[in-house]
Amino acid sequence: MLEIQHISKSFYRKVALDDVSIHVQKGEILGLLGPNGAGKTTLIRIINRIIEPDKGHIRMNGDLMTQQHLSQIGYLPEERGLYRTMTVEDHALFLGQLRGLSKRDVKTQLEYWLEKFEITDWRKKRIEELSKGMAQKAQFICTVLHEPKLLILDEPLSGFDPVNVELIKQELIEMRAKGKTIILSTHNMKSVEEICDRAVLIHQSKKIMEGRISEIQEERKTGEYAIKFRGSMIAFVNALWTSFELIDKEILGDDKFIARVKMRGDNTFEDLLRTLLGQIKIEAAWEVLPSMQDVFIDLVQVKKEVSNA
Amino acid sequence: MRNSWLIAMRELKERIGARSFIVMSILGPLIILGVIYMLFALGGEGKQHWNVLITDPANIMDNKILVTQDKSVNYSFANDYIEMEDFRDSKQFQQFDAMIEINEKVLANKTAFVFFREKPSVRMQTNLQFHIERRLEEVMVGRFTNLSVREFRKIKQPLNVAFRNAYDPFDKSADLRAWVGFFYGALIFVFIFLFGMTILRSVTREKSNRIVEVMLASVHPNQLMLGKIMGIGIAAFIQFTIWALIVGAGLFFMRETLFPDMLDASNLVQMTQEMKDQTAMDQFLGGIEYNQFVDLVYERIQFGTMTTYFLLFFIVGYLFYGAFFAAIGATSGSESDGQQFVLPIIFLLCFALYAGYYSLQNPESTMATVFHYLPFTSPVVVMVKLAQGYEPGQVYQLYLSLIVLILSAIFILLIAGRLYKNGILQFGHRIKIGLLLRWLKKS
Repeated sequence: MLEIQHISKSFYRKVALDDVSIHVQKGEILGLLGPNGAGKTTLIRIINRIIEPDKGHIRMNGDLMTQQHLSQIGYLPEERGLYRTMTVEDHALFLGQLRGLSKRDVKTQLEYWLEKFEITDWRKKRIEELSKGMAQKAQFICTVLHEPKLLILDEPLSGFDPVNVELIKQELIEMRAKGKTIILSTHNMKSVEEICDRAVLIHQSKKIMEGRISEIQEERKTGEYAIKFRGSMIAFVNALWTSFELIDKEILGDDKFIARVKMRGDNTFEDLLRTLLGQIKIEAAWEVLPSMQDVFIDLVQVKKEVSNA
Repeated sequence: MRNSWLIAMRELKERIGARSFIVMSILGPLIILGVIYMLFALGGEGKQHWNVLITDPANIMDNKILVTQDKSVNYSFANDYIEMEDFRDSKQFQQFDAMIEINEKVLANKTAFVFFREKPSVRMQTNLQFHIERRLEEVMVGRFTNLSVREFRKIKQPLNVAFRNAYDPFDKSADLRAWVGFFYGALIFVFIFLFGMTILRSVTREKSNRIVEVMLASVHPNQLMLGKIMGIGIAAFIQFTIWALIVGAGLFFMRETLFPDMLDASNLVQMTQEMKDQTAMDQFLGGIEYNQFVDLVYERIQFGTMTTYFLLFFIVGYLFYGAFFAAIGATSGSESDGQQFVLPIIFLLCFALYAGYYSLQNPESTMATVFHYLPFTSPVVVMVKLAQGYEPGQVYQLYLSLIVLILSAIFILLIAGRLYKNGILQFGHRIKIGLLLRWLKKS
């Protein structure tokens, strides 16, 4: 769908992107991750042709990207901006027409989205009359109005209440199911785990990681397991003895715990379960995978340490 | 172009929907009409009814003045010599506001003296002169020709004797029409300033609320800038049209109702019995003198030509200066920063007004010629020159100035486009010359 090839961009002496290449597949949600100032927004602006790269190029469906391709992209920038005195409908008409839709198509699409979000009475409301979250919803509608094949969303969930966060997430999942491609730039790692298929991490202008979420987590797992049980914690620890190491524990009740355990030597998960059987009542057991938050922090910190050294 | 047009239409809708636009559309022309009314009224102020004593010892006028319907003057006759001191001090003459002395040599030396207690308004002076002239004309026609007054007035041709200063043969410095040109030019700059500031505010607001990023993901920066300048320009044009319509209607109303006698010589025509024999020109000359401003507004301004070139220079001048405002808005790091950098533009606009005034005073000077072609100043200077009138064979100067302005506007739009493109997404910085130069060099 989108080939970002060897993109470099500098702002005078500051390098914003250094030879970044990313392959975005059709019908996937790609998480674009990175700490503040990593170069994510610069990359997004380059994809949207708002700024030009110093080196490299971008292909969309095999063709070098041109201004014409912009009508296939829906872009929701991080810094939301709407004309305060314009109504929701006027906004939709203006932005929709700029994206190549006819007036009639805009109205049809707007009707669909307002009904879907159950906000038909917002149509004639001016932006200044809406709350921040409401305005954000209106902007989301304006972004997807022209049914873009590629959606680029920069922090689309910030500012929404939990109900609306869920609503937008479901909408994105639905869009993916319809074959739309989505690039999601966010610091909300939980949502990355929940809805992204793959993730790319940019740090200090370079791409330092790319892969499927499950594979990234798999690659970085540390052999930790979690056991949810009923019984005595002392009995649990005694059972571990020297073959396993208790990393952490969470108290759920008087005799209810979740313990995180690491293997020592050649011991396996099966060995652990055998050891514990009869000592405590196991309710659940699973392999602990690192959260994307952990992966993010690990990678960014390691990189920082390396560059400091 | 479609995108620029969409942007222009959005700007236009926002502008004409704003309360300030509506207020200014009505208030602006009302202020102009108010000023015009004052100038008209000042021309006709003073004592409204005059008692005039005509001393005519030789009884040349036969105690007749032939005024039938002018109620503003009441004439009395005395066939004696009355000294000015007597008129001034004697109790019996205190009822008269003025005394006109018709001495026996009046037919030869064509001079009559009017002694007044309180200076008559220009309008009253014109009335008195007109009445005496008419009566003496009748007397002279009867004495020195075999023609009837009617025949004489048929063949009489008005002669406009123009007095010229040898050092200023065209008398342009005192030419009221030049001031009209200056007014037109000043109007261009008022509109450029008002709507230029609107461009600046609009750009900086879009920048500060970040909607510009959404826009730039759909349109090229130059399309955005052009659309914005176009939309605000159309709003300016609409406002100007509203001004012109209201001022035009107001002038018509004033002429028809408030000052019906002004310039309408038909009111003066009734003063003499043979007025119906007067030629149109005669009628015109009958009323032309008494208020120069009325004369200027209703008769001497070539509204058609002036307005055509006003619009041309307004549009191109607006594009020229508008590009500056857009570039400043785009390159500034904050709204306050942008407003600071408007000062040089305001200085340029003020300088242009000064150049217009300078050209009015020194139309033949080298600097006036330079200002005539300089794109910063040409809109106002050309208006002054146009009002004064180009010499035959020099009209090419007008076209040349317009071409220079058009080329300059294109050049500035290109430069501004580059600054706009490179500066529009930069925030929180301070404008420095070095930075601007870097942005200019960047494609």
